[in-house]
Amino acid sequence: MNWKKLLLRNETALIIAIILLSITIGVKSPEFFTLSTLFDIFRSSFVQLLFALGVLVVIISGGIDVSFPIVGIFAGYTAVVIMQKFDLNENSLMIPIVLAILIGVALGGLNSIAIASFGIPTLIATLGTAGVFRGIMLTFIGSSFISDIPVGLDNFATADLLAIQPEEGTLARLHILIIPIVIITLLVAFLLNRTMFGRSVYALGGGVEATRRLGISVKRTQAKIYMLVGALSGLAGILYVSLQRKANPYDLAGSELDIIAAVVLGGASIMGGYGTVFGTVLGVILISLIKNNLILLGVSGSWQRAAVGALLLIGITVQAINESRKAKNRRVSTNDEAA
Amino acid sequence: MNERWNKLNTGLLADRKITQLLAITIGTLLVFSILSPNIFFSPNNFKSMSYQVPEIAILSIAVMLSMLTGGIDLSIVSISNAAALVAAYVMRSKSDTTGTESLMWILIACVLGIIVGLIAGGINSILIAKLDVTPILATLATMTLFNGIAIGMTDGVSVSGLPEQFMRVGNGTFFGIPTPFVLMVIIAGAVGLWINKTTLGLKIFLVGTNRKAAQYSVMGDRKVIAWVYLASGFLSALAGLIIASRTSAASPDFGSSYILLAIVIVVLGGVNPMGGFGTVTGVILATVVLQMVSSGFNALRFSQFLYLAAQGGVLIFVMILNVVLENRRVNKSISKSLRS
Amino acid sequence: MSTLLTTEYGVKDIVKSFGGAKALSGVSISVKSGEVHCIAGENGSGKSTLIKIMSGIHAPDTGLIRLGEKSFTKLSPREAVHEGVQVIFQDFSLLPNMTVAENIAMPTYILNNSRILSKKQTKEIASNALDLIGVDIDINTPVADISIASKQLIAIARATNLGVKMLFMDEPTTALTRKEIKRLFEVVEQIKARGVATVFVSHKIDEIQEICNTITILRNGEVVADGLMKDYKRDAISEAMTGLNISETRIAPPLKPSTTKVIEVKNLSTKPTFSNVSFSIAPGEILGITGLLGSGRTELAEAIFGQYPVDSGEIIVEGKSIQLNSSSAAIKAGIGYVPPDRLTQGLFLDQSILRNLVAVGIDQYQGRGGTLAKNRLYEAGEKWIKDLRIKTKNSQNPVTSLSGGNQQRVVLAKWLAMNPHLMILNGPTVGVDIGSKREILEIIRDRAQEGMAFLVVSDDIPELIQICHRVMVIKNGQVSKEFNESELDENVLYKELS
Repeated sequence: MNWKKLLLRNETALIIAIILLSITIGVKSPEFFTLSTLFDIFRSSFVQLLFALGVLVVIISGGIDVSFPIVGIFAGYTAVVIMQKFDLNENSLMIPIVLAILIGVALGGLNSIAIASFGIPTLIATLGTAGVFRGIMLTFIGSSFISDIPVGLDNFATADLLAIQPEEGTLARLHILIIPIVIITLLVAFLLNRTMFGRSVYALGGGVEATRRLGISVKRTQAKIYMLVGALSGLAGILYVSLQRKANPYDLAGSELDIIAAVVLGGASIMGGYGTVFGTVLGVILISLIKNNLILLGVSGSWQRAAVGALLLIGITVQAINESRKAKNRRVSTNDEAA
Repeated sequence: MNERWNKLNTGLLADRKITQLLAITIGTLLVFSILSPNIFFSPNNFKSMSYQVPEIAILSIAVMLSMLTGGIDLSIVSISNAAALVAAYVMRSKSDTTGTESLMWILIACVLGIIVGLIAGGINSILIAKLDVTPILATLATMTLFNGIAIGMTDGVSVSGLPEQFMRVGNGTFFGIPTPFVLMVIIAGAVGLWINKTTLGLKIFLVGTNRKAAQYSVMGDRKVIAWVYLASGFLSALAGLIIASRTSAASPDFGSSYILLAIVIVVLGGVNPMGGFGTVTGVILATVVLQMVSSGFNALRFSQFLYLAAQGGVLIFVMILNVVLENRRVNKSISKSLRS
Repeated sequence: MSTLLTTEYGVKDIVKSFGGAKALSGVSISVKSGEVHCIAGENGSGKSTLIKIMSGIHAPDTGLIRLGEKSFTKLSPREAVHEGVQVIFQDFSLLPNMTVAENIAMPTYILNNSRILSKKQTKEIASNALDLIGVDIDINTPVADISIASKQLIAIARATNLGVKMLFMDEPTTALTRKEIKRLFEVVEQIKARGVATVFVSHKIDEIQEICNTITILRNGEVVADGLMKDYKRDAISEAMTGLNISETRIAPPLKPSTTKVIEVKNLSTKPTFSNVSFSIAPGEILGITGLLGSGRTELAEAIFGQYPVDSGEIIVEGKSIQLNSSSAAIKAGIGYVPPDRLTQGLFLDQSILRNLVAVGIDQYQGRGGTLAKNRLYEAGEKWIKDLRIKTKNSQNPVTSLSGGNQQRVVLAKWLAMNPHLMILNGPTVGVDIGSKREILEIIRDRAQEGMAFLVVSDDIPELIQICHRVMVIKNGQVSKEFNESELDENVLYKELS
């Protein structure tokens, strides 16, 4: 086991950061070190993680997607609206989830048309589709806040796997979502590492032309990528609606920054070709820690975004310095002469 | 025949795109005037539009600059808000002064706001030009940071109650023309002169066309990029001051949808997102078009969200058009090189 | 000789145009299994298009692709791989972010339509493939960290691993040392015995003459010669490729004796790329540097231009010892550099000829307050167009409207406009038509006569012999031999290179 290599990895730095941060918070507010806090961190990370996994896949392929929160809320909100409009079984949990995923896939498909079929740069394409999706949702599907969401969804918000009541302190509730989320996370990791599709995603990040010459269909891989993000975002959206116990179409917009920050901090390179599920999980946990527990450090909640921004800035600076050091060490002639 | 095509392509390409834009501008004007002869086609509406166009135009010009070098500045809105907030704080804390003293404090406030813009732009410059961070990532990070600092310092509350003398800039007229509009014309003119008539401007276009060739031509590509992001920060600050003056308030979250709008505008205005081509005139015309759409939608009682969808739609449509036309052009040049 | 049934692969009557200009007009080629075939041609002859059609990247307008018993009007890349056609491109098409093992194993998985992969299997596939060609590389290293020579070998391992039936190699020897070329040929002999039809696409006739059995020569999209390699001597091949009986007489100008040196390089080292390099160039002298790719010749040239770091040694320009740690320092010292790849390094393709001409000296055209003195700019442009006979009617035309030779002149002019004491040219006539080649060499001669010193880095031996006063051969980063005027002979130089 190459210890030096292990230590220098991005994930290690993250783990250290998380531990340090936790200790700092815990020292200031001992009530941090309770099971209840841990379970709360999980609960607040589920939706984030689903979004982040989707973004991870996109970033590994060399692209970027800023439309995913909009896809999420579009799917979640519309699923609820459909359920209410068509009087579907309001006790069902599966129906709205399936609906949301399907809507997510459809929207992701639209993204992939813009990106794969027309070759529009990913940032601009998804910036545009985000506007279109949001605009259409708020104009045609509805702009009102729905507080009485279907019962099945509503009840799910309190579906706890474990509920542990310590002698003193708050009830520690571990939401049942932990199981499907862990499964999905492992599935995405499996997808990325062990399937042809996953390796094609990494290949795309390594070089579009080289990938094409291998015989991999670039367009089809991209289509699958954006539909996968769509599905994950749709799922995230409906779960968000459930956990919040309301469907507010104005929610989630603007949260792309935090999630992209989590994925980038987790070690994914924005240029593509690099990134791991484990790193993303760590990134999400770190961001979650900051956003939800800054208060315990005595810092007002208004500084959450600044903290994330500062962290992201430090992260990319460190990555950039590392990159330039690596490039200097290579010193191989990459100035290939043309024929 | 080919010679003529080439001359048209390069010498007049800029003009051709601008002619197209003019046609689109006039077309849009006609469409909305016909559809809404009373509300849209009224002096009040034109007046109100000419007050709102300048801030967006200046922000779009900032985006254009970063795009010309092949990058992008996503932090423009957060910089403009930050600059506005700093200026607003100063002005509000000296709100008890009057007359020339008050005027002096307003000026100091504005200068401080501009300095904020320069510092912010400077941070972008260091990240992008010195540390080689990709512009998307760098400006995403700074956008988050600046926005975060603004929210933190104001607790999310806007700063209002700005002095009346200051408000006169954003809401007054200069020889009958709305003051912000005059400012916009001056700023646009200055930027246009900068990129088209100076050596640094020529370098901006070359760096954006081919960064590697620019490095081999030893033209100080890093310095060029540093200047561009500095300028972008500067322009964003100016836009922020104009917004504060017009709305008499500064807030950390104002204009969150402006970044999409600015990108739609530069793309429509003929700026090449890959770098190397763009005109200020195009950007101004595109701003006018988008403003007319916004105001036209308003007049026709369309939801403001439909305007949002329209922005996205226009962006995607123009990009698809660009890609299709570019493919055609590349095929032509391949055939040309094969012939010779 | 062989009693095996032979299969034939190739194309019949292929026509391919791009937007109205014919890249291939009725090309037919046939390669038998177990044969090593050479397709020779200059840049623009259509050989790249041919490879791309056979590997499914482009579809022909008309004509057939014959793979054994099957005929196709067009192929997709995936189909081509399925049918056993593999191409090793010049850039190797490797994925830098993935390991050696994965890069080698990917095509196998794709060929088998595998959905699920296993790390163990990947490593096995890769090890086997490397063993097959006798190469030992750590398969767990990311390709980004590997040298160019090794990348070439990995590309070959990847391609030969697949039960390939027809293997194309596009300019395979440019990146290999003599030893590696020998090893490559050994591998080729092996796969030849297994019945693979191998196609070497190259213009380096000397290197492949020993390995190829048959040859097809393309020129301007047509087959101009076709037959057994032994029937064609080098000159005949050259003439067929270019269509001209090129005068290869020396045009180096007489060298005026001089006591001063424009540049003196003493023991320049940046390990492991180059070490202990020493040479000097007098005013008006043209020094050639040659060596195989990977020998360090480009890095050496770039080090003198401040683009590549220098660990130790001294550089003295015009009598003053200077630190060339940046290209602006080099320019200030009077050194210019024309990079090897004009399309990506030398030109601003979407810009006008005029802008390209002034790109280096832009600051010279500064008027008051940093403004651009457009009149002076325009005049300078016209001057250079005239001086270097660049074929264009309007300096505002895009530089893409020029032919390769004229484009190269633009890059040359860009630097000559700085009036350097020393001009470093890296591959000055690559991808340039014969007529322009000669004219560019004449331009070099004319400037040399006026006192400009030249350092010409090239792998075109005949060209170096035509224009240089002396030629240095670089091997593994060190000067292996320096030839002066009387010793310049093609065969001797080729020998030294091997």
